[in-house]
Amino acid sequence: MFTSENIKPAFKAAIPIMLGYVAIGIPCGILSSSIGLDAVQVFLMCALFYSGAGQFMIPNMWLAASPIASIIASVSFVNTRQMLYSAAFAPWCEGVSKKLAFWFSATVTDESFGVNTKMFEQGGWSVERATFVNVFSQSSWTVSCVVGVLVGNAIGIPLAIAAFAMTSIFICLLVTQKLTSANVVAAVCAMVGVFACKLVGLSGPAIFFGAIIGVVCAIIFSRVREKVS
Amino acid sequence: MEPISWTGFWIIFGICALTILACRVLPLFLLKGRELPPRVTEALGFIPSAAFAALVANDLLTPGMFDAGIWPAAAPLVAALAVVIVARLSKSLLWSAVVGVAVYAALIYLF
Repeated sequence: MFTSENIKPAFKAAIPIMLGYVAIGIPCGILSSSIGLDAVQVFLMCALFYSGAGQFMIPNMWLAASPIASIIASVSFVNTRQMLYSAAFAPWCEGVSKKLAFWFSATVTDESFGVNTKMFEQGGWSVERATFVNVFSQSSWTVSCVVGVLVGNAIGIPLAIAAFAMTSIFICLLVTQKLTSANVVAAVCAMVGVFACKLVGLSGPAIFFGAIIGVVCAIIFSRVREKVS
Repeated sequence: MEPISWTGFWIIFGICALTILACRVLPLFLLKGRELPPRVTEALGFIPSAAFAALVANDLLTPGMFDAGIWPAAAPLVAALAVVIVARLSKSLLWSAVVGVAVYAALIYLF
């Protein structure tokens, strides 16, 4: 496991993710400190929660005075996409020890999923190496977020500008999804759903309900299309 | 805005950490060597698009956003458009974040 044969190629594969996490992690740390989270709390979140989207959503929703239940529901719902990644990796983990499979699956993110999937498909990749990609990425994220907390007040970046880094990330994640008609229906309906929720005063759970509306509309669209064709 | 308390932190962090751990680990252990039912796979497949769109809409769209004038609400939309172009061309999270923040900051400070 801890051999240079595994560590070196994993580090090389993880470099783009690590650099990206530095750029995004520091604003995330700054944003976290703005709602009163200290370095220990942010370290715990990075080590045990480790979700870029989630760690940006929590401060954003707290700043928007969202209820705690709504924050938990929205963050948990957004993170259900991890189930797909986990299911997709199941075949690659055949014959791997439970301990390693747990460590690997518990540290997957959107970005490391993308890199490791590509490497597995190219061949010559292993769960050991994939786990190291995850660990290098998580280390970069953790250090960057904690640095963001520590230097946050000194840098004094306006919150709206720092937060736009994650809006940009969400936009990138959205527009790089497969451009199928059902995905477009899901996205458009989710956006309309969020706006409608806000319009009727449901700003807190708007993300949660908006995303559910998007998924339901896409399923209905798919069923109708199946029946028509 | 009240700073988050330790109690609030533990509730949010604890539950979110458990749910994401379950989402990350359970399917892999439950589905080794099996295929998800097609209907379930299809529904799960819509979640990323719907969730990211909801997050983007939540950040950019608010009823009455143009009440205080066109530019304060239009600036993030223009910056978002720049991010869409960069994201489609580069498919890079890093470049998207850099360009998004730079364009947004430039629009706010220059106009």
